Amino acid sequence: MPSTFQIIADALPVLFQGLLITLKIVVISLAIAFVIGLIAGLMSTASSKIVRGIAGLYVDIIRGTPLLVQVFFIYFGLPAFLDIRIGPEVAGIAAVSLNAGAYIAEVVRAGINSVDKGQVEAARSLGMSRYYTMRLIVLPQALRRMIPAFVNQFIISIKDTSLLSVIGIRELTQSGEIIISTNFRSFEIWGMVGVFYFVIIFALTRLSRLYERRLTAR
Amino acid sequence: MIVVQNLKKKFGANEVLKDISTTIREKEVVCVIGPSGSGKSTFLRCLNLLEDVTSGTVVIGDVEVTSPKTNIDKLRENVGMVFQRFNLFPHLTVLQNIMLAPKFIKKLDKLANEKKAMELLAKVGLADKRDEYPDRLSGGQQQRVAIARALAMNPRVMLFDEPTSALDPEMVGEVLQVMKDLASEGITMIVVTHEMGFAREVADRVLFMDGGYIVEEGVPSEIFDHPKHERTQAFLSKVLK
Repeated sequence: MPSTFQIIADALPVLFQGLLITLKIVVISLAIAFVIGLIAGLMSTASSKIVRGIAGLYVDIIRGTPLLVQVFFIYFGLPAFLDIRIGPEVAGIAAVSLNAGAYIAEVVRAGINSVDKGQVEAARSLGMSRYYTMRLIVLPQALRRMIPAFVNQFIISIKDTSLLSVIGIRELTQSGEIIISTNFRSFEIWGMVGVFYFVIIFALTRLSRLYERRLTAR
Repeated sequence: MIVVQNLKKKFGANEVLKDISTTIREKEVVCVIGPSGSGKSTFLRCLNLLEDVTSGTVVIGDVEVTSPKTNIDKLRENVGMVFQRFNLFPHLTVLQNIMLAPKFIKKLDKLANEKKAMELLAKVGLADKRDEYPDRLSGGQQQRVAIARALAMNPRVMLFDEPTSALDPEMVGEVLQVMKDLASEGITMIVVTHEMGFAREVADRVLFMDGGYIVEEGVPSEIFDHPKHERTQAFLSKVLK
């Protein structure tokens, strides 16, 4: 029987490939989620009740259902209903984007609301339009405060992508499963998969702490 | 220059302004005094529509502020406002605070904008603070920057909403001095204030408000030395010791 060390060494290249796919999915999804979240977050601070309602409904639906169900719905449900085909990666990215987007929308909404009302009044009293006030005064202050929450969402989404193994995407978790199905060494492989996730997330957490400290230093 | 007719403002069922009518001439300095909750600040905020008006009309120059057709952003360029809590933009330096609105609204080129901003900073005595962030300034300094920021748009009217109420006592003087200088330059000013000394010295006219009405108005010597209405008398006897 090969040694633990040998097993891990053999598994590394495959796991690295899986990690790359995990990171690719997370980065693309979060870029999309950021745009969705910004739009939905802005909508939820709009004066129109209908616009606020649409944003609220989106957030409620996503928060009120498990990500796994969302993944199944987008990968199996929608294509069956619309009679189209969606690749697993596209479906996975769509699900994670929509999911993280809803949480980011709440972060954006809270961030915008945290900016003092006097800031808006000062900007408007100078003759700035709503658009300029939002772009030049409110968002720059709000986004700065949102950074820790964004990092938090980033970490959650990294872990969430492990669910995408169920639709056959060869991300980190699925890579682990594939290796185990050939060598049956679950202790070593699941251990390593865990270590991979941990290292990435730990590094991210440290980075964001450093950044936060720099921010409060100014 | 400013004509207010039958102005009323309700917050829900609470009627804060009951029936305000007054006229303010060009270059006039008007101080609004009265007990807290009398509607002074709300009155001021109705003039540039930071509060929407329940009924009545406000006309500034030849623009009817209260008409739904009015481009309110355009009007506000001509009506500067200074707030009790300064409301400087904390993510921008002093100079950027002053240059922001002229840059984006008037599309003023950078050189002319900076020159004008520096002139204004010199005027309020803070030219050396140009690159500081607001949180590094004292309250009095912040308020002077806020005045310079409002002036950068070349307003014809300046509204001051209790500009010294949030200041430590030793900083009140420097802000009032800047406002005095401004008054002597002949800009139209409406000042909601608790500084009776300032009102007496600088105002052309004093409005005394109580319970959502202008109870009494007149030149400072009249209001302060010979108040006619008993509510004015009661208020002044409390604040002038």
